[in-house]
Amino acid sequence: MILAGIPFATLATIFGAVAAGMIALYILKLRRRVVAVPFSLLWQKILRDKEATSLFSKLKRLLSLLLQLALLALLVLALGDPRAAATLIKGRNVVVLVDASASMQATDVAPNRLAVAKDEVKRLIRGMGGADRMLIAQMDAAITPMGPMSGDTSELERAVDSIKATDARADFPRALRFATDSLRNIDNAEVVVVSDGNLGEAIDSAGPVHIGDVKLSYMPVGKAKDNVAITQFSVRRYPLDKSRYEVMLEVENTGPEPADVEMSLLGDGTLVDLTKLRLKPGERLPRFYANLSGASRTLEAKLAMIGDTKDYLPADDHAYALLPERRRAKVLVVSTGNTYLEAALLLDEYLEVLTATPLEYATKYAQKSNTFDAIVFDEATPAEMPKTNALYLDPRGPGSPFKVENEIREPGFDKIDRKHPIVRFTALDQVNIARGHKLKAEPGDKVIGASEEGPILVAGTRGGNKMVALGFDVRDSDLALRVAWPVLLLNIINYFTDEDASYLSSFRTGDVWRIPVGQGATQATLTMPGGATQPVPVHEGRAVFLGQNAGFYELSLAQPGAQPAATTGNPTDVTQAGTSVRFAANLLDDFESTIGPQEKLMVDGKEAGTVSAFHVGVRREIWIYLLFIAIAITVLEWITYHRRLTV
Amino acid sequence: MGLRLGLLDLFQAGGPLSLRPARTVKTQDDELFDDEFQRKLDYLALVSRKVFNGRMRAERRTKKSGSGIEFADHRDYQPGDDFRYLDWNVYQKFGRLLLRLYEEEEDLSVYLIIDASGSMAFGEGNKLKYAKKVCAALAYVGLANLDRVGIVSTSDKVMDRMPETRGKGRIFKVFRFMRELEPAGITDLGDALKTFVAQHKRRGLAVLVSDLYDPAGFEKGINVLRYNKFDPFVVHIVDKREEKPKLAGDVLLYDCETGDEREVTVTAKVLERFGHVYNEYLHEIERFCTTRTVPYIQADVSVPFDDLILRIFRRGGFLR
Repeated sequence: MILAGIPFATLATIFGAVAAGMIALYILKLRRRVVAVPFSLLWQKILRDKEATSLFSKLKRLLSLLLQLALLALLVLALGDPRAAATLIKGRNVVVLVDASASMQATDVAPNRLAVAKDEVKRLIRGMGGADRMLIAQMDAAITPMGPMSGDTSELERAVDSIKATDARADFPRALRFATDSLRNIDNAEVVVVSDGNLGEAIDSAGPVHIGDVKLSYMPVGKAKDNVAITQFSVRRYPLDKSRYEVMLEVENTGPEPADVEMSLLGDGTLVDLTKLRLKPGERLPRFYANLSGASRTLEAKLAMIGDTKDYLPADDHAYALLPERRRAKVLVVSTGNTYLEAALLLDEYLEVLTATPLEYATKYAQKSNTFDAIVFDEATPAEMPKTNALYLDPRGPGSPFKVENEIREPGFDKIDRKHPIVRFTALDQVNIARGHKLKAEPGDKVIGASEEGPILVAGTRGGNKMVALGFDVRDSDLALRVAWPVLLLNIINYFTDEDASYLSSFRTGDVWRIPVGQGATQATLTMPGGATQPVPVHEGRAVFLGQNAGFYELSLAQPGAQPAATTGNPTDVTQAGTSVRFAANLLDDFESTIGPQEKLMVDGKEAGTVSAFHVGVRREIWIYLLFIAIAITVLEWITYHRRLTV
Repeated sequence: MGLRLGLLDLFQAGGPLSLRPARTVKTQDDELFDDEFQRKLDYLALVSRKVFNGRMRAERRTKKSGSGIEFADHRDYQPGDDFRYLDWNVYQKFGRLLLRLYEEEEDLSVYLIIDASGSMAFGEGNKLKYAKKVCAALAYVGLANLDRVGIVSTSDKVMDRMPETRGKGRIFKVFRFMRELEPAGITDLGDALKTFVAQHKRRGLAVLVSDLYDPAGFEKGINVLRYNKFDPFVVHIVDKREEKPKLAGDVLLYDCETGDEREVTVTAKVLERFGHVYNEYLHEIERFCTTRTVPYIQADVSVPFDDLILRIFRRGGFLR
């Protein structure tokens, strides 16, 4: 027997002190109620009989004292929390990983898999032994311990209650590493995974997860596979006609039965398209909606089942997207006069072009360069780089973002990075150039076009601003006469303002989102799909947040002083101080949409065992029984005393 | 076996035992003998005459031989006897000197001995009030029947006495005596009645009105009367509430007269046994009186006093 509560010496002191007081009270003569009688001789005969039993009375009094001391001993011992030495040594240390991924929202078991999993975990808690300790952790895109490792059942149940479902995939390898790290060098360690089993391989970038001697148990939840999901959903504006846009989505039947679904597309809450689809088991069906127009800002795709088609996971029946907001980009052209440049910029009606001479720039605009979305320096290279995106045409001198090296004769675009957005839809191979200068790319810069002698078109980032430099004067080439010239110029400006065709219409849940907020901001506020707000940290000009729920989000900058930038609504765009940007997040994960529960869980080449030895009903804490005995004796004594059986 | 720490009792107890208040109550007797009471006395006097019609007081005789006119007996002459009562005819016939004896005629005395000890005033003093009423009623009947009525109050001694008197008009003297009677002292009928017989040479009817709570034994007092040729008549005042005292738990009992203390833990069983002992005590008294032909009346204070007086009349011994 081992005392897990108050140590023995303290208990002995408490018992000694209280027992001494108790004995003193017993020794003190009882002050009786004084009552007058008319003739005490009548009582004498009764008292004579009583005196015959006085020995018994004394014995009863002694017995009463002993009983009180026994009660005291029971209570004091209960304070000590005595436990059998065997149970104390064999107490288990359990980490319960509760899967809170999107597939756990499946309703094939009432009310849903996560609720059933939580009930199962509570059953485990109630079946814990007196020496067992448990840690409850929520397993989703991250791993979140819901409390400390504890043997307190009410605390553990509260931890279970605080688990909430997410719309993300579970990061099983990370959860396993967390569990094994938590149980390192602890005896009788056990990891219990409560999940539907769709967790993937326990392998991450560091390799397979080894659980060592830790016992792994698996408690499967769920029973059905039927599900239809939206697995892809994106939207973009057409590059040359930004008033129109196209939508791509993909629907997949991950269940074993054919499914009839009705798919609706809503723009700003209004129905845009309604399609009925029939999907075979396991079929993926991509759909394109081309040439859509209108002022739609938010797009939402919804799936509804037709007939007796079953769909147990509602979380993947919705998808959200936001169209990039259209607005005029402010462009400053610093030039002594370049008709080709000015003419090319006139082609895009959404550009607000301002022209300035190098002198005017130096005196008037250099200090407020951050009020422009882009600046084009034509044969002018200021000593300081502007605080915004800039295109340098034929830069010279030390102020150039890219080092200008020696002049080269008749260079050509011999090498072109055709994947880069600024050369999209252009044919630069045939451009003839009289002369130019070789540019030197710094580490991190991107060489987009190069001649045999060296780079002549380079992109990079300086001070958080995008910089592009062309190593020749367009007037010294026939580029200005080609269609490629205005397309290249507009591509570069789109690249600066992120209005390019590779627009990302939504984030994926379970990823760490990095939302640009501009320089200077330290904190932003994120409004969740449910309306709740949460402050998010800003790191290197980007708000960082691990998003786990699908829906529309709104990010607002809490602190003024951030660099002004475009607010295009693009989640990869830069947010301006005092303004907000909206973006969407979707599950779009066919792995998570495959909800069929797994019977077995394999980790590290071993199969997880079943959960056992958590039997409800038998508590191993002895102090509870001691307390019950003390209460029972007190009740018994109360009854016998008041019925005058023992007086 | 409760946790009898005594704390509660420490706080509940009134104070030190030495300051314990006497649980006797001074009787407020001004209203005892009101008009209603006096009307009942007249009624009782009338009833007594009706029941014992034709018997005059003068016919009552003592067993004492004396100087009456009716011959009673002869006895041998002893030197010093009065020659006038020698029966010379017998001497002439038989040659023996015999003395003629005559029954002495006298109006007999009625003594009402009221126990005014502390126990009579126990509780609300009902027993003493009742005893006073009974005494007053018997005194009135006696006075109305031309008896010589004397009243004595006792405890362990004769506390007060009203000299023998006769005539109905003296009833107010009786009332005054009763009003002034205050309970005090412990009961010792043996000693008290020894004093009584020493003070009263005239023998007669001695009505003892008492609860007979005598620590020395109730027999002693009655026997003193018997042995001294009084005609004892016992009116035993009983308050039936004393059979079932309202007690419970651990108590310290003290005798309201003697202050004698006893610790008792009162349970239902103890109360039941007390009831038996109490009734046994009453039976013992009745048995004693019956076997010694002493008229005995048990007077429960809950019975109206006039009913009791009628019972006394019927029982006989008071009116002859």
